[in-house]
Amino acid sequence: MDLLWQVLVNGVLLGGLYALMALGLALVWGVLNIVNIAHGAFIMLGAYVCYYLFAGLGLDPFAALPLAMLALFVFGYVVQRYLLNLVIRAPMFNTLLITFGIDVVLTLLAQLAFSADFRTINPTYAGSNFMLGSATVPFVRVIAFGIAVGLTLLLWLFLTRARLGRAIRATAQNLVAARLYGVEPRRVYALTFALGAALAGAAGSLYGVVSQVNPYIGGSLTAKSFAIAIIGGLDSPLGVIVGGLFLGIVESLTSLYIGPTYSDVASFGILVLVLIFRPSGLLGRTA
Amino acid sequence: MNRFGVVAIVVVVLALLATVPWIASPSIIQFGISTLLMAVLAQSWNIIGGYTGYASFGNSVFYGLGSYGVAIAMVQWNLPFGVGLAFGAVLALLFALLIGLPVLRLRGHYFAICTLALAEVMTAIVSNLEIAGRNTGLVLPLLRGDALFYELSLGLLALTTLTVAYIARSRFGFGLIAIRENEEAAAVMGVDTTRYKVAAFAISGFFTSLAGGIHAYWITFLDPVSAFDITLNVKMIIMAVFGGPGSIFGPVVGAFLLSAISEVLSTKISTLASLFFGFVIIVAVVFMPRGLADLGRRFRSVGWRYFAENVRRNRL
Repeated sequence: MDLLWQVLVNGVLLGGLYALMALGLALVWGVLNIVNIAHGAFIMLGAYVCYYLFAGLGLDPFAALPLAMLALFVFGYVVQRYLLNLVIRAPMFNTLLITFGIDVVLTLLAQLAFSADFRTINPTYAGSNFMLGSATVPFVRVIAFGIAVGLTLLLWLFLTRARLGRAIRATAQNLVAARLYGVEPRRVYALTFALGAALAGAAGSLYGVVSQVNPYIGGSLTAKSFAIAIIGGLDSPLGVIVGGLFLGIVESLTSLYIGPTYSDVASFGILVLVLIFRPSGLLGRTA
Repeated sequence: MNRFGVVAIVVVVLALLATVPWIASPSIIQFGISTLLMAVLAQSWNIIGGYTGYASFGNSVFYGLGSYGVAIAMVQWNLPFGVGLAFGAVLALLFALLIGLPVLRLRGHYFAICTLALAEVMTAIVSNLEIAGRNTGLVLPLLRGDALFYELSLGLLALTTLTVAYIARSRFGFGLIAIRENEEAAAVMGVDTTRYKVAAFAISGFFTSLAGGIHAYWITFLDPVSAFDITLNVKMIIMAVFGGPGSIFGPVVGAFLLSAISEVLSTKISTLASLFFGFVIIVAVVFMPRGLADLGRRFRSVGWRYFAENVRRNRL
């Protein structure tokens, strides 16, 4: 029973981070109708930005996080405005392929620039933890979870309350109508993509704190983000939180009861089942 | 060019390629085998991805099933190579029928991602199977006969391309193209879309599994990660798309060209070869999204404006 409690706590903490990872992907997918395969590579870049700010300048990783977000925001804006914008009206398959190309290029450039070694962002308080009932909870994981959920809620508020957020949602619903109301789609698309990249930067910084980073982590992170975005639906950031928590808990339970080698079977198996039986997501209306 | 001319050129090229094992060095023959098998994969993907318009990321599952069919038959049951190939093909066909029915109902991104997830699931399942050697994989009996493998691969490529050429002119092929262009309209016109799609998936899987089986016996070793490798699936897509999806010779030309360039680059630095692939994808999608085949058809009349036109059509 104690073990189950510990596993559930781990799953929830992991799930919060998963949700933040998937958030940028779901946002870009929902608005631009681009499935960004390079999203995992963006997360990886965010982790490296945070790592070098931490290891090079001695910045606290949680203070470096906004800087990593800013760096990825600018990067995302440029990528969308000057590259993806050239193919935005092409068939979905072409946009899928081009983001795959970006993924390959980023991964290999990262390998040349940062080497293939594993890096960990390891602040002095990384080892400290506290007890929650009978479960041991690492301190940094709780902060990471809090930031992840906080950012998700902020995004939700931004999309529902702010003027630009509403413009983004309007563009997602009906491009032509949004244009008639004075929304400039090129700007909205670039800002949305930049926002997605910034969220990936935040997720990467947190990932670097709770886990290890190397240039090749992108692929599996993209795959997980897909799964979460589909389970949660593309409608709302809140659905993505539920999807992330769901996947985190399922993965933790599978590794406890069936075996760690099956945790990927569980997550991708659920993805396949959800796609077949509820293509609009477990919670979503339309995706 | 008339039909007779095309057939004559193909026969001459085939004959020239068939003589390679007698005149070329061992390393060139080995490069030839992997290129021919890659071309088979690109051509098989062309049936489901190019003609039917379903971007399958699950073709590496067929490849893996073909490889494991041969490996299990030869290592665990001591059966001959041919029986192993047939066993792998049966596995691939069963997979296409059982999984194809639910999965081919999905469209666009959803189909692509679902097949991607299936490939991941298969890797994990096979690495837990006792008969497949779990994580460590299987070691096949060694056969020193690169010439034989070369001719087998060439024969398989010829057979696959012939099948595609036949499909492209058949009622079945027109049905697939109709599905690609507008699935509802195709259904209204009386195309049995489910049956057509599953059949295209199965044919694609059949040839892919044979290529996997030949590759497994040639390399004599396989493990789950390399057998169900997603990057292989991506490579076949890139080669088919670069050459021209939905054309008969495009994927083959794309596979030959990209393999050759990548081989030249990888003798210098292997990272450079992969980086080159990434750039090729980006540039190709932006400037020639319909592949070499379309470029070849339209470049003569339009000239250099062809590239600008593609960009203008797709940008916002």
